[in-house]
Amino acid sequence: MVEEHAEGNAAPATSENDWVRLISNDGYTFLIRRKVAMNSGTLKNMLNEESNFAEAATNTCMISERGIIVEKLCEYLSYKALYQNSPQKETPEFQERLQPEIALDLLMAADYYEDPTES
Amino acid sequence: MWKSDLPKPPIGSFEKCAKCMAQFTVTKYTLAANPPPGWLCHPCAKAGGSDPFKKVGPRKRKAPAGDGSGRRVVVYFEERKFPSLVSLCIDLIGACIDDVEALGDIGNVNMDEIAKTISKSRLLTAQNAPLFYDVQNARLSLYDVTKLEPPALIALSNLNPNLTELRLDYCGRTTDEVLAHWETALPNLKRLELLGPFLVKAPAWQSFFRAHPSLEGFLITQSPRFDLDCMCALVESCKNLQELRLVEIGLMQDSFLEPLHNLAGTLSSLSLASPGSTMNIDPLSEDALIKLIAAVGPGLTHLDLSYNADIGDQFLFKGLKPHTRKLKSLRLEHCLELTNAGVAEFFDAWVTTAQKAGVEPNPPLERINLSRNHGLGSDALIALLEHSGPGLTHLNINEWKAASQDSLQTIAERAPNLHTLDIGFCREADDSVIKALLDSCQTLSEVKVWGCQRLTVACPRKRGVNIIGVEAGQLVQS
Repeated sequence: MVEEHAEGNAAPATSENDWVRLISNDGYTFLIRRKVAMNSGTLKNMLNEESNFAEAATNTCMISERGIIVEKLCEYLSYKALYQNSPQKETPEFQERLQPEIALDLLMAADYYEDPTES
Repeated sequence: MWKSDLPKPPIGSFEKCAKCMAQFTVTKYTLAANPPPGWLCHPCAKAGGSDPFKKVGPRKRKAPAGDGSGRRVVVYFEERKFPSLVSLCIDLIGACIDDVEALGDIGNVNMDEIAKTISKSRLLTAQNAPLFYDVQNARLSLYDVTKLEPPALIALSNLNPNLTELRLDYCGRTTDEVLAHWETALPNLKRLELLGPFLVKAPAWQSFFRAHPSLEGFLITQSPRFDLDCMCALVESCKNLQELRLVEIGLMQDSFLEPLHNLAGTLSSLSLASPGSTMNIDPLSEDALIKLIAAVGPGLTHLDLSYNADIGDQFLFKGLKPHTRKLKSLRLEHCLELTNAGVAEFFDAWVTTAQKAGVEPNPPLERINLSRNHGLGSDALIALLEHSGPGLTHLNINEWKAASQDSLQTIAERAPNLHTLDIGFCREADDSVIKALLDSCQTLSEVKVWGCQRLTVACPRKRGVNIIGVEAGQLVQS
């Protein structure tokens, strides 16, 4: 998980390994690899180069959730990118990284951003 | 069985050995030469290493699949799915359901949205359902209770004793026992909405109605057991019934409608869509429906008689036109007897007929759904807009395939207050129709255009308006 307040401008060329920026509604900025973000159907559509969305042009997505929720969402996307093709035995449980306090908020965010039918 | 393709010569005949060329008598034990063709004499067969006397017994039966206990062993394949974040969150909520404090401040999240999310993946269980329960709850809506078994449904009523409105979708496991428990556990219930309560039998319904004389809304969809006695019990017990929905009721008959006449004056919302079953096709006759509207029509604000095949223009002329006074919402989906001229005439003359009769005319309708009536077209649309245009907020004319481009264009002009519009499969709809709508309807939020082949990629868009189903756009994307 990388959390920084990065300043450099986003590269226009897109590749699997470049970074995309997620900004929470309370101003926290998260940088994640494009291929990690692609695990979210909604983010994938937002960043789709063929679309005319501002998100795709700037590689930046505004996410109307609190920072703690966006952080956990990024954490899950990284977890998914890392383990989704590895055997079950070697996959650690993600459950223990979830705090009950944010379960309800995270559920709503997950419902919107995960969108498994799209990914 | 034989190595060679040729049939074995008859036993007792002479044959030349394929190896030593000596003549020999074919017997039961004669073997084919390997490699073929030909047959071997007894000494050559023995010399070749094969035993001519080896018994070719009946083929052994394949050992039956299983562990020998006689039962078939079912092999389970578990498709490994990566756990979704939604399911992980729901698991977590289920795990700490008894410790509400742990879930933080519930007040700031929209529990109804949570209920929808959990239902969407069919993950509402007896374990996590208490998340939505509260002694003070007056309303409860759960959108997929497939996994709640009768004890859980009983618990639901015990934990929400003050409910006045209850809506349960996919409540297929609701049994007589559950309904009997609700009789006493939910004394304040005023509105009950159930989707798929097909296990509940007639006596249980009747006794439930008797226990809830103050019921104001009874809305069920899909019941093969709700019968005439239930209908009578409902009307006799619940004198204040305002909202009635009996959709997909298998035993529906004309005789069901007569008790409803007694609700004249109180009933304001009525839905009798898709009556009957495959054994009881299109049971409601137009005459009986006209009589019903004559009785309850003046009080109705919402009427849904979709998928009643017998409804035709007569119903409009003799039922709706003279008897409705304050109808706001009309649904006649898939009533194929309706004609273009008939519907046009109905909307044209609705007001004047009332004026001639010296009564208050029906105000413009707000919601009209006349979809899946492919015989309707331009005339009906223009008359409809002429009558209800300014009041319309929701219009669905899906599959009016003959509606002309001009008539579709008038929607924007005449109905500026639309919120949602479905013009799917109206073949003449094109980009200019959409443009006119976006220009003049400021409150518009959704337009469905599935099957409108004349829309192009250049179909106009506007912030805040969802245009759903532009097929030209999809072709480009893929």
